[in-house]
Amino acid sequence: MTRKPFILRNPSVLLMLAVLAVFTAAVTLMSQAYGSGAVPTSMVKVLGKTLCLALAAVAMDLVWGYIGILSLGQMAFFALGGYMIGQWLMYARTEAIVAASLAQAPIPPTPLELQEATASQIFGVVGSSDLPMVWSFAHSLPLQLLLVVAVPGLLALVFGWLAFRSRVNGVYLSILTQAMTLALALWLFQNDSGFRGNNGLSGLQNIPGLDGVSQARLSIWFLWASAAALGLGYVLIAWLVGGKFGSVIRAIRDDETRVRFLGYPVEGFKLVVFTLAAMITAVAGALYYPQAGIINPAELAPIASIYLAVWVAIGGRGRLYGAVIGAVFVSLLSSWFTGGRAPDLALPGYVVKWVDWWQVALGLSFVLVTLFAPRGIAGFFDLFTRRKESGS
Amino acid sequence: MTSSLRAQSLIALALMLLVSALPAQANPELEALIATNMDQIERPSRRTVGPLIKQIAATGPEGKAMLAAWTDRRLGLTDDGRVVIVAGDDMADAATGEAVAGADPKMLRPNSGVRGLIDSALVAGQISDPDRKIRVQALDSIARSGSEEHLAALRNAPPDPDPALQARKERLETLLTIQYDGDPQARIAALKEMSGDVGLDFRAVLNPLLATRRVAATEAPGDANIARELKPGSDELSRDAAYELLKSQELAQPRLTLAAQRDILIANIADGRVGGIPVTDLGDPQARDRAYEALEAAGTVTPAATEAEAQEAIDRHRYYEIYAEPNPDVTEAAKSAQTRAQVRLAAMKGIDLGLDALSFASIYFLAAIGLAVTFGVMRVINMAHGEFIMMGAYTGYVVQTLIPDRTLSLIVALPAAFAVTFAAGVALERLVIRHLAKRPLETLLATFGVSIALQQIAKNVFGTQARPLTAPEWLEGAITFNDVISISTIRAAIFVLALLFLGLFLFIMKRTRLGLEVRAVTQNPGMAASMGINPDRIAMLTFGLGSGIAGIAGVAIGLFAKVTSELGQDYIVQSFMTVVVGGVGNIWGTLAGAGLIGALSKIIESLNPSNTLAAQTFMILFIIIFIQFRPRGIIPQKGRAAEA
Repeated sequence: MTRKPFILRNPSVLLMLAVLAVFTAAVTLMSQAYGSGAVPTSMVKVLGKTLCLALAAVAMDLVWGYIGILSLGQMAFFALGGYMIGQWLMYARTEAIVAASLAQAPIPPTPLELQEATASQIFGVVGSSDLPMVWSFAHSLPLQLLLVVAVPGLLALVFGWLAFRSRVNGVYLSILTQAMTLALALWLFQNDSGFRGNNGLSGLQNIPGLDGVSQARLSIWFLWASAAALGLGYVLIAWLVGGKFGSVIRAIRDDETRVRFLGYPVEGFKLVVFTLAAMITAVAGALYYPQAGIINPAELAPIASIYLAVWVAIGGRGRLYGAVIGAVFVSLLSSWFTGGRAPDLALPGYVVKWVDWWQVALGLSFVLVTLFAPRGIAGFFDLFTRRKESGS
Repeated sequence: MTSSLRAQSLIALALMLLVSALPAQANPELEALIATNMDQIERPSRRTVGPLIKQIAATGPEGKAMLAAWTDRRLGLTDDGRVVIVAGDDMADAATGEAVAGADPKMLRPNSGVRGLIDSALVAGQISDPDRKIRVQALDSIARSGSEEHLAALRNAPPDPDPALQARKERLETLLTIQYDGDPQARIAALKEMSGDVGLDFRAVLNPLLATRRVAATEAPGDANIARELKPGSDELSRDAAYELLKSQELAQPRLTLAAQRDILIANIADGRVGGIPVTDLGDPQARDRAYEALEAAGTVTPAATEAEAQEAIDRHRYYEIYAEPNPDVTEAAKSAQTRAQVRLAAMKGIDLGLDALSFASIYFLAAIGLAVTFGVMRVINMAHGEFIMMGAYTGYVVQTLIPDRTLSLIVALPAAFAVTFAAGVALERLVIRHLAKRPLETLLATFGVSIALQQIAKNVFGTQARPLTAPEWLEGAITFNDVISISTIRAAIFVLALLFLGLFLFIMKRTRLGLEVRAVTQNPGMAASMGINPDRIAMLTFGLGSGIAGIAGVAIGLFAKVTSELGQDYIVQSFMTVVVGGVGNIWGTLAGAGLIGALSKIIESLNPSNTLAAQTFMILFIIIFIQFRPRGIIPQKGRAAEA
């Protein structure tokens, strides 16, 4: 019996890739660097960041919507990816600047002097001038790129192994992932952990070796990279959940005990999914923070991870395009409302300033979505297609 | 002298006569002493003036007055050879007490050594003064800056009628014996007597006795009191530190640092070359060494110790820590006294820590109990629980703005906070949670939505600024047991409050109809429903009760923390931890969890007090590991309900 090709079985994947391609091309043609200039560079960066968030949301959907782990620690992996790439960005750029200034000195610097001067430049703000151990590979882009997936992957592996083998699940597991994120954030907040404490890593928008390239061009390049990452991640996860593997993990979500009694190694499946999602999230973070320009431990606040879950829930979990829709829709809407550009709403006797009240509206709308539209925005598509989705 | 001045002194004289109505007392003994020892008085020497001071003190109150004036630099010598006490513009003869007018005395300025002698002579008098206040002052001054003379004075003084003062006097005498007694056996005996004492004064005496300095030498110094020998490269003495010590004792040449080498090379650049090596090549450390050696060979720079020489010098010497105190028996006794003091101090600190941990635990208990109850009954984690705590705190603040009397407002605030959060909890249960039955993860997110909405509403209503919730005066201050052990009254009160609620809760659960029904629903909702219990009503009431206690916890927390819209966030994670560690469905589990978290956070904090962030990180890590061994908490729920 021949199976239909993957793409034909999942028309939504093709549709998503097409939308992504059209979107990227449109933004490029309207950008300041390559087109008419209708979309300002800052907006291009916002869109690029949104694509990264969408990728993180797709990974979140994999762990929550498909295998049923409500992980409230995804942003820890996201930020770790950002920190790993940020180390190279900051080190390489600082080193270039320090080398340029030391070139003025009467005699050329030794490699040791160069490293010490760079370290004191980077860590001056936390009152240190030594390069911490965790920066040992910061000089090398390939090594740091490897760490982008290796460090969050390892963290997820160890944490997941500990949590799953002791059969922690449900609400307990959610709280535990949140605790992990908080612990990591508190650790990063310390000056002596080697990541510049609450200053975080900054100046990440400047790519070493690309000084001649304007931010307008860079932002478009990053948009392309983010779109490509989202497309690849989407296809990978769609392929994964489309096959037999997907059936098993959905079964684990629906009745873990029964799957275990059928002889499947439930913990192994969970561990694979959790670790893979962490690595994809880390890649998203590594693309996000060079566009944001700065990363600090506040990015790991437990609330950020909960927002990620909120996006997936509003978009509609258990289907990947739901996660993308939720992330794009809510994050763009949030930045529009909190950016002060939304017009005030004049009620009789009170003027609603959206900067102040958006959070309230978001919180309440979230309650409403969980109560009345458990399938999220994507659930509305069912009204037209009359599709009976096995998910949710 | 101008007429105005004369008039002034006349008035002053008149005043003096009026005030000292009794005729000035003449003291012939003192007069004779002064006459025979005029030289000593004018130019006292620390070595020889001692007996004279004692004699003067022995002449009576006039002699003491003279000594007091002397040490205060108020004693003058007139041209006609009289010793006068000067007070502002007035002068009086020290021996006869007669007022002296129109003289221009030469002021005596004894040096500090002499003044020390005078002071101790005076103190010797004061510690046997009939006036208790003066005796206390004298002891205070000895405690502040004791000296060898004081020791003698204390020994010779008659026993104090007041037993408290006598005890203090004996303690001071022992302390001074340790410091100043010439006989080592007496010092050792005194040290043994005080051994294990944790008073700050005793520790202050011990520290200089045990002070050491480091010495490098080729062989052991024979006469010195050696504390121990240090090995270079050990934790106490790194090799670099050893070399620094050698340098400071001029036993070794300074080493050439990389920075110094660089500066010297820069100073010797000639025609783009240093020591024959092109400047452009000097980015290489080995090229720098070659250039420097070339300069050394040419004699332009002084040779510096090479690395090998430095290491050789370090290994050739031995390193000792030497006590400043020469007598080894004394340092030995001091050391054992210190060890015993440290052990006792550690024990007391442990008790103090325990009290702190207890107060932390009571706060976590109050904050977590509601969470545990709702989780036990409904399998629901209420993410808005922290915001209920915040609501309670703000209720307390609002009540306080309405009722100025703090005690009364606190009495009103507690039930008011309970009522407000009870209502909020019931509303949340009816409007949201009831409709999400059997979907615990969605409940988590829905209540989280409520949480961010409530937080932002609080921010919009009360502003981002912290609001004060002031405790009544009788709750301020601290309950102090001794130097080390103390606890602030508010925290003690919160402990009492937590005990109260534990009792109340146990009463409701074990002795009332509601408690029975709650337990029934917790164990098996279906069976409970078929026995005529309305699970929805029970769920609503439990949720309200849990939320109400959160409100009370909010008032309690608000009394010592600042009331902000983020108040709940600070406690919610600890509350979760308490529930997770303790286990659900049993109040003793919550209690155990709160105790563990409280003790743990306090202990970790005391190990590294400067770094509270690290403390929290380690605590969370500990909990993650703890879950490995007891996944369902310290006191897990048993039976069928646990599998639900």
